[in-house]
Amino acid sequence: MLVQEAPIVWNSLKGLICVYKPAEVSVHKMRKILISKICQEMNSLEGRPPSDYVAIEGDPSQKLTVSVRPNFADHPLVVGPRYQNQDLHVSWSNFLGFYTNGVLLFGIRDGTRQAKFIRENRPTRAYRIKGKLGEVTDNCFKTGKVVMKSTWRHVKQEHMDRFLSAMQASHQKKMFEMCGVDIQSQTAYELAIQGPIRPANSKIPIIYGIKCIEFQPPEFTVEIQCINEYEDYLTHIIHEIGQKLHSTAHCTGIQCIRHSRFTLEHALLMKHWTLTNLLKNMDVCSKILVESGENLPRKSSRLV
Amino acid sequence: MLKRIIHFSTLKISKTLCTSSQLSNSLENRTNDLTPSTLEPTEPESKSVLEPLNEDISHVTTYLKPTYNIAAYANRSETIQEFIKLGVDLNHIERKVSNAVPFILRLHFEEVKKHLLFFTNVGINIDDVAHLITKNPFILKESLEDLDVRINYLKFKRFTDESIARIITKNPFWLSYSTQDIDTKLGFFQATFELSGPQVRQIADQAPRLITHNQEKVKLNVFVLKEEMGFSKYDIQNIILKKPKILMSEQKKLLKTFEYLHKVIGLSHQQILECPQILTCRENRLKERHQFLVKMKRDQFNPKEPNFVNVITMVSGTDSEFSTEVAKSSVEEYNLFLKTL
Repeated sequence: MLVQEAPIVWNSLKGLICVYKPAEVSVHKMRKILISKICQEMNSLEGRPPSDYVAIEGDPSQKLTVSVRPNFADHPLVVGPRYQNQDLHVSWSNFLGFYTNGVLLFGIRDGTRQAKFIRENRPTRAYRIKGKLGEVTDNCFKTGKVVMKSTWRHVKQEHMDRFLSAMQASHQKKMFEMCGVDIQSQTAYELAIQGPIRPANSKIPIIYGIKCIEFQPPEFTVEIQCINEYEDYLTHIIHEIGQKLHSTAHCTGIQCIRHSRFTLEHALLMKHWTLTNLLKNMDVCSKILVESGENLPRKSSRLV
Repeated sequence: MLKRIIHFSTLKISKTLCTSSQLSNSLENRTNDLTPSTLEPTEPESKSVLEPLNEDISHVTTYLKPTYNIAAYANRSETIQEFIKLGVDLNHIERKVSNAVPFILRLHFEEVKKHLLFFTNVGINIDDVAHLITKNPFILKESLEDLDVRINYLKFKRFTDESIARIITKNPFWLSYSTQDIDTKLGFFQATFELSGPQVRQIADQAPRLITHNQEKVKLNVFVLKEEMGFSKYDIQNIILKKPKILMSEQKKLLKTFEYLHKVIGLSHQQILECPQILTCRENRLKERHQFLVKMKRDQFNPKEPNFVNVITMVSGTDSEFSTEVAKSSVEEYNLFLKTL
């Protein structure tokens, strides 16, 4: 059971939360909904009583009377509810596109610092991307207009696997090449043991792992571990896969299944956004944060 | 020379007295207490500015400086204090109807009282009166005779007392329209949908906000129902008698819901007509629940076959009710499913 005093709850309401973002709801909208839900519930709790108004009245030439009465200027009906939407700072640590669903991290109040650290530490994210062979759309996603059709029955799973592993290898090789080190050298080894090699620029997407986990033609699902990716990049990967397999493909769904160590099981559905659930989720998230060491800024191996 | 200066300064004081009395209620009470003789410069010749002053001049204050918030006036104005006690949300008025704030500050509570009594006599709860003023503070600008005429018009049109009270509480702007306006608005609905008198009354009672709603938007929704969805004139009449609020919904959302119902779920026009309230359901909710039923292989919307699922029972009720009773599954499974959407 939650404490009924709003200021106590407000003081404990700082940290990181992990929520589930459905497709076709923007991150901005989610943030707005989260803020208004929290404020609404905070205002329904017992707020701070209005401050006292000290009135000094009477004739100044005679004796003045001092009286204390409730201050109307501090009444919630006049100055507005005690907790207002603009007072609550919320920021996200990973941006998901409009059509992407999955794990989303929000920093609330002091948690915005942690959200920033996670963003700047650039942990890997895992995506599950669904594609469909045989059709190309103008934006490479299912919402677009179909611009081309092709045959797909000749595409087999081994073709797909072969191409995907080649793609993964080329991405990893490229990272070492761009570092300027020979992959057979000691420096390359020392670079590799520091963890995944991250590009210096946070705008360059890099894939660390890609594999096909489901293949039921024409539909297939690909799982990707990557950093610095964005929605268009992921949809275009599916498009590229289709082309390289001598067919065509478009993306039908993108789901972020892991961000750093936060997975779908930690994610809170929008209908469960109540103060009690959010505070519980905050506890869980802070434990994961300490375990993973993401709560501190980290020096990562990167291109020099 | 000194005499002239003294005379001038006393004149100035009396001038500020007069102007500030217009501003604030509390100040006015004090000026009323003063006898007329004190207002006039008393024996300016006998007094020097250097002599100690015995009379009380604490009521001579400066104007309130321009403020960003009505709270600056809250401890001075009696009207605001009474409004707070009544439960009027002044913060809402300040944010949404900002031009009403100067109007409220100039009000005298004695005049407001008559309006409040009038509303309670009509049969509105005192809490609802506060809500009424919060939403439409300019209702206090209307004269009591006008309000009386507007109520009498409704009585003349054979609205019952309960429905009049309901109309005014549900639609705070109703009484701001003149009888001619309301008459043309009611006439519009009667003519467009070919309704009888009792039917018009039923709609006005069910959805009082619809009557004063923007008529262009209503016409647009009628177009959506008729041309884009393909309902006949008689069907539309049925729909608005059962669920008049449909005409106030946003046209794009309405069409999206209908398209999902008709094209994806596959309900016929006749089935939608049986429960038109389904059209007010959000597309997202419909999608989530229908897709879960598809996954559980329970999406059977034909009433003549076994395991029939009613669309209304599908969308109404909490998620736990839906998942156990309609989908014959558990909430945990439904939540897991929601995390794949």
